[in-house]
Amino acid sequence: MSLHNRIAVLRAERKLSRAALASSVGVNPQTIGFLERGDYTPSLELAFKIAEHFGLPVEAVFSPRPFRTLSEQVYELHKREA
Amino acid sequence: MAVNVNNVNKERSWFWKKIGFWFVPVKRGTLGPEEWAKVRKLSRTAKRRTRRLFTLLWAPALALEIAVSLWVVRIDPWAGLMSAAWLVVLMGLAVRAIRIGFAQVSLEDRAVMEYGAEFDALKEKQRGEVFQQAVRDGLFGRVKIDEHEAEQRLRAQGAAYRLLGPALVVFVAGYWAVCLLGPFAATRSALAVTGMVVTWLVALVLAAPTMIRMWTQPDEPEETAAGE
Repeated sequence: MSLHNRIAVLRAERKLSRAALASSVGVNPQTIGFLERGDYTPSLELAFKIAEHFGLPVEAVFSPRPFRTLSEQVYELHKREA
Repeated sequence: MAVNVNNVNKERSWFWKKIGFWFVPVKRGTLGPEEWAKVRKLSRTAKRRTRRLFTLLWAPALALEIAVSLWVVRIDPWAGLMSAAWLVVLMGLAVRAIRIGFAQVSLEDRAVMEYGAEFDALKEKQRGEVFQQAVRDGLFGRVKIDEHEAEQRLRAQGAAYRLLGPALVVFVAGYWAVCLLGPFAATRSALAVTGMVVTWLVALVLAAPTMIRMWTQPDEPEETAAGE
């Protein structure tokens, strides 16, 4: 089963380099690249480390189903509030 | 197990800092931007297409190496052994270099990890140090095997083993067919002894993973009643 993730978006949002994130969670920078491209499914340990790094629950960073785009979610939230 | 890449830099001894420059064919301050661009391009892992081309070319090269060894061994067994050993060492070094290359961190990422800046933004001396560290790590195999790299290696080894299994069985069957049915009446018994040794070696190789698993797999926990 492939696991979808939001690492690229979260990294861009926080202006975090691959190397910096990799260094923080203890993997090689290319591993972050593989994760972002969906070429690698991380271990539970790594998934939790990454989620912890971003200060988010693991299900906010990883999902078995594709994530909806952030713009869609923001738009829906606005609609709900209105 | 995950390994912190930061530790690589912290663990580096004064020897590598002071003497490492000797090992690298680039002097400080001698490269311009164009040369650095070439160095960076060369230091990246080759594209899959190129890697596959090399893999395809490797098969005939290996066949040629084996043919040369077989030709030499008929002339002189010792010379054959030396030739085969030399070729095996060369192949081993090439495989090692490729494995290190896969686990190497790119110059760009090294620059960020080491100096917290893009490679282009570094001073000439810093670029040299980053490059030299990469070359040293490549030469001495000082690369970090993180969980992704470990899994890739394990997967490749598994695939190789799955290919090797049937190939060895076919080889042994072919060997016995030639040995028993071929026109080798004078040397048949000697060939059969070799065949027996090869057969048992193959059987041991193929049974090894199961034996290792039998040795290492922990016991299953006993079933407990729900709520206990």
